[in-house]
Amino acid sequence: MLQCIFLLADNGAVILEKQLTGHRVDRSICDWFWDHVISQGDSFKSMPVIASPTHYIFQIVRAGITFLACTQVEMPPLMGIEFLCRVADILSDYLGELNEDLIKDNFVIVYELLDEMIDNGFPLTTEPNILREMIAPPNIVSKMLSVVTGNSSNVSDILPGATASCVPWRPTDVKYANNEVYVDLVEEMDAIINRDGVLVKCEIYGEVQVNCLLSGLPDLTLSFANPSILHDVRFHPCVRFRPWESHQILSFVPPDGQFKLMSYRVKKLKSTPIYVKPQLTSDAGTCRISVMVGIRNDPGKTIDSIILQFQLPPCILSADLTSNHGTVNVLSNKICTWSIGRIPKDKAPSLSGTMVLETGLETLRVFPTFQVEFRIMGVALSGLQIDKLDLQNVPNRLYKGFRAVTRAGEYEVRS
Amino acid sequence: MAPPAQAHRSPSPSQPSGKGEVSDLKSQLRQLAGSRAPGIDDSKRELFKKVISYMTIGIDVSAVFGEMVMCSATSDIVLKKMCYLYVGNYAKVNPDLALLTINFLQRDCKDEDPMIRGLALRSLCSLRVANLVEYLVGPLGLGLKDNNSYVRTVAVIGVLKLYHISAPTCIDADFPPTLKHLMLNDPDPQVVANCLSALQEIWSLEASTSEEASREREALISKPVIYYLLNRIKEFSEWAQCLVLELVAKYVPLDSNEIFDIMNLLEDRLQHANGAVVLSTIKVFLHLTLSMTDVHQQVYERIKAPLLTLVSSGSPEQSYAVLSHLHILVMRAPFIFASDYKHFYCQYNEPSYVKKLKLEMLTAVANESNTYEIVTELCEYAANVDIPIARESIRAVGKIALQQYDVNAIVDRLLQFLEMEKDYVTAEALVLVKDLLRKYPQWSHDCIAVVGSISSQNVQEPKAKAALIWMLGEYSQDMQDAPYILESLTENWEEEPSAEVRLHLLTAVMKCFFKRPPETQKVLGAALAAGLADFHQDVHDRALFYHRLLQYNVSVAERVVNPPKQAVSVFADTQSSEIKDRIFDEFNSLSVVYQKPSYMFTDKDYRGPFEFSDELGNLSIAAESADNVVPAQGVEANDKDLLLSTSEKEEIRGATFNVSGYSAPLYDSSAASVQSELAIISSTSAGSAPSSSLAIDDLLGLGLSAAPAPEPASVPPSLKLNSKAILDPGTFQQKWRQLPISLSQEFSLSPEGVAALTTPQALLWHMQGHSIHCIASGGHSPNFKFFFFAQKAEESSNFLVECIINTSSAKAQVKIKADDQSTSQAFSDVFQSALSKFSV
Repeated sequence: MLQCIFLLADNGAVILEKQLTGHRVDRSICDWFWDHVISQGDSFKSMPVIASPTHYIFQIVRAGITFLACTQVEMPPLMGIEFLCRVADILSDYLGELNEDLIKDNFVIVYELLDEMIDNGFPLTTEPNILREMIAPPNIVSKMLSVVTGNSSNVSDILPGATASCVPWRPTDVKYANNEVYVDLVEEMDAIINRDGVLVKCEIYGEVQVNCLLSGLPDLTLSFANPSILHDVRFHPCVRFRPWESHQILSFVPPDGQFKLMSYRVKKLKSTPIYVKPQLTSDAGTCRISVMVGIRNDPGKTIDSIILQFQLPPCILSADLTSNHGTVNVLSNKICTWSIGRIPKDKAPSLSGTMVLETGLETLRVFPTFQVEFRIMGVALSGLQIDKLDLQNVPNRLYKGFRAVTRAGEYEVRS
Repeated sequence: MAPPAQAHRSPSPSQPSGKGEVSDLKSQLRQLAGSRAPGIDDSKRELFKKVISYMTIGIDVSAVFGEMVMCSATSDIVLKKMCYLYVGNYAKVNPDLALLTINFLQRDCKDEDPMIRGLALRSLCSLRVANLVEYLVGPLGLGLKDNNSYVRTVAVIGVLKLYHISAPTCIDADFPPTLKHLMLNDPDPQVVANCLSALQEIWSLEASTSEEASREREALISKPVIYYLLNRIKEFSEWAQCLVLELVAKYVPLDSNEIFDIMNLLEDRLQHANGAVVLSTIKVFLHLTLSMTDVHQQVYERIKAPLLTLVSSGSPEQSYAVLSHLHILVMRAPFIFASDYKHFYCQYNEPSYVKKLKLEMLTAVANESNTYEIVTELCEYAANVDIPIARESIRAVGKIALQQYDVNAIVDRLLQFLEMEKDYVTAEALVLVKDLLRKYPQWSHDCIAVVGSISSQNVQEPKAKAALIWMLGEYSQDMQDAPYILESLTENWEEEPSAEVRLHLLTAVMKCFFKRPPETQKVLGAALAAGLADFHQDVHDRALFYHRLLQYNVSVAERVVNPPKQAVSVFADTQSSEIKDRIFDEFNSLSVVYQKPSYMFTDKDYRGPFEFSDELGNLSIAAESADNVVPAQGVEANDKDLLLSTSEKEEIRGATFNVSGYSAPLYDSSAASVQSELAIISSTSAGSAPSSSLAIDDLLGLGLSAAPAPEPASVPPSLKLNSKAILDPGTFQQKWRQLPISLSQEFSLSPEGVAALTTPQALLWHMQGHSIHCIASGGHSPNFKFFFFAQKAEESSNFLVECIINTSSAKAQVKIKADDQSTSQAFSDVFQSALSKFSV
């Protein structure tokens, strides 16, 4: 039972307001909220669920835009948050990206979307496919059409067939000249390496993303070579539960276009592709730092976009850092970024330098945490492999594509 | 901090007032209205867009209402949508002009295009103007029977909107039974879901007055309905699934077979991509198995993985909400999560509120097998840049130590903290070492060696300093220079700001004196002298007490001040297990996120699930002062249902509805003042009176004084008044002349009220406390005459009152005039209740 949704710009100004029930929520709640955010310091760090003197506020921040929802009654918190996330997703899908100007240029569409997504405070349709049939996205094609034909209505005349269809996520009448389906394994590695260099936690969170451009009502079956490594899975509503239960086979009628078929977790991995070895020694008011990065376990493909980031402790007055590979930047807020890119064949990248401590401080007692980013194309580090993808009810000419990528998620090395 | 309750929205000064632009728009729209030229729609659309964009940035464009309606005769659906949007936004403040829109909306409700039918119906129901309800019934009835499901979904929600505008109209039109029929028979799942949500709301609100409604409400959680919904669950949208699952969680199955059937049916919901669905499913599982201990355990095992996945997937906001739920489960059954402790390791990037939850969970799941790893991890956080988290993690280490696992290693760690030259680390560690020594006196030797080396100058925080001084006193026989440290501390008595530290210092010096009299005697004298001269009452009293004790008999003093102590076995927990259970009952609700049961943060009078309040200060969560008082009473008021079984609980809740509904107008009009009264009462009676009995007391007072006691059936919707309403006398006079009398009544005054009314001013102050302001008053005993005015909190709708009081007959003659006639009865009740509470 949300009462109201506000969209706020990054300076706290209200971009858009949508009242959902008869109990109008005054805009002044946004001022309260913004004061609260400012008093908390960093807006990204304030709680997603806040209690104001009059309302409970849900908030999420996407691309600098704060999505705010208010309620006065008890409700499942995730419903509020999930819904706001969905609104943000759909808006960025419709507008291409999210920013203040885009929303202001297209606020009629935003209102129309909100109107269909939620009625009287209760979420209705958040399925992008259905919405897209009800309200056409403001894309270039429709803009061109409106110029040519003079008809700029972005609302379709007919009601979406899927609202009545038994497969609500799929439009009834889809036609493609070229039938294609792409399956991507996108994995993120979360790891913690502690002060002694021990890998204390290493996990993979992965998603199976499908881009499905198929005519008609196709029925797909996807199976993995090694489903047993999956620790826990979550499915798009289109996945049938029984085949997975009995044979670990994903059987589904796909939505049209891009969607997330499944997400999974693989626990307790034993090694990481790269190592990061920081060393900090300090005495007499200065601190020497040296960080080595190298390949520990060659995944067989190139590791690129390696970036190391760390926050210098507040007690450090100045830092002089150099590296033998890549570039080092120290920002004014003491965030230090070392962009390595790829690891060269002939040498191991290293960063070294000296830092001056605050006067009166002999040795460093607070140590930075290094956050590592990398990307490996073509490999799913969890070892998950797609066995085969079978299709029924599709024309003969068909292209199937598979890809994999692994990125660093929350990958941190403590020193 | 509180946002001011603005009566109406006004553009902030930084924004253009938009007056010129609005009148511009007005004339342009007027030109277009009559035109039928080709391409006119495009120019209309541009203008409409401009109007809506002004509306969006907060400029008041209600002035063009008439023109907008004139332009709305169009077949262009985008224009229609913009027009609907505009109309929906301004109809409430322009009830007369809203009538103009009815016509075209009703026509659109019969359009061939189901989309337009649906949109028009939705807009029609969103006008929310009370005197237009008669126009809603027809289109709604047709909408419910429409052959297009889109129109039906809109119509069902429309019924709910109608109910909120005018409940009697909705009930008289027999809509609830129609919805019930639709719910059980409609092929479209969204229609079914909307029926369910509408019926739940309507019947819960009706239940307090109508037995039939409360029967119907019960019937929603009966076996046939639940089974019907469960069987269709996969057809529903994810949000509707949440709704159904919330309902299922209330269902009490007959036997264990039924429980297993339901759980089997719902098991795949745990793998749903939407976190809200997963959490609702978990709630169902937990509630179904509460009575079956071993199955309940298995449920924990089963839901563990989905919850952990939810935490690691999704946005940080989602993770946090899930994590708070995980937190409550971990606290209930830590052993089940013991092997997953690594999931609770803090990541550098996480906001501190997440880290804090994780630290608590790490503390809870520590057991023999994982303590070493957990403590190692926690020690790494102590060197964290985030100081509050560093502190929390040291505290967590201490808590784990007090949970008695592997104390040996932990003590070493704690002592390492002491050697770290960070003031906050040292401070936290000192407090912990003190607690540790109280529980494990056998470690004193190791600890004292380290503590002795800490210079007291480096410890500034009162808690830490007190801990250090306590240890100095307690173990003075083992610490060589304890008396001398105490001596130097005593010398700085004047500079010590914290009374707590000075108290501890007194006691420590006493203890030291008993153990090493010759060295301490001088310090003791100085300390007692300083204590006796202390301006702080407690310090002074303790010093005096010690002084007299010593004068009386030194050995008795020793027995009093330094008796042999027993090691503390268990430290008291801060949050009672009852409260934790209570939060668990409210799984998948905001309670979990706030870590408080709802009665602690929602309104003190629990007013039913769907009632809103627009008044500030009604919700006591953020108001710290209220926070201290209200929960204490709430606990007692609710204690009795904590002990009851679930079914009985329901009945009690029903009963509370009645009471609160009864007193609602009374409280709402004066939330602020009632709150402060409560505070006074509770501080004098030490919170012994539960709040519900207070409400009844007030009710009795009202029953005594008011001649026509309001009947429960005709409880008016609670009306909120603006406590800072302003009206100048000129406007008052003008309005008084223009408006017709909407109500004329005679009230009785309580004898106390009559006694108190010696001058007009006494009543003025009283009414002001109820947000009813006086504009003029006069007269002498026994006849007084008053003119009052009040303003609705949410809009600038005024009530004007002429009140003539005759104290000899104890009667008040009241004439009420109102901008909004429909609410004058509600206001009259507020006025009457405010008047009836007037006394010395």
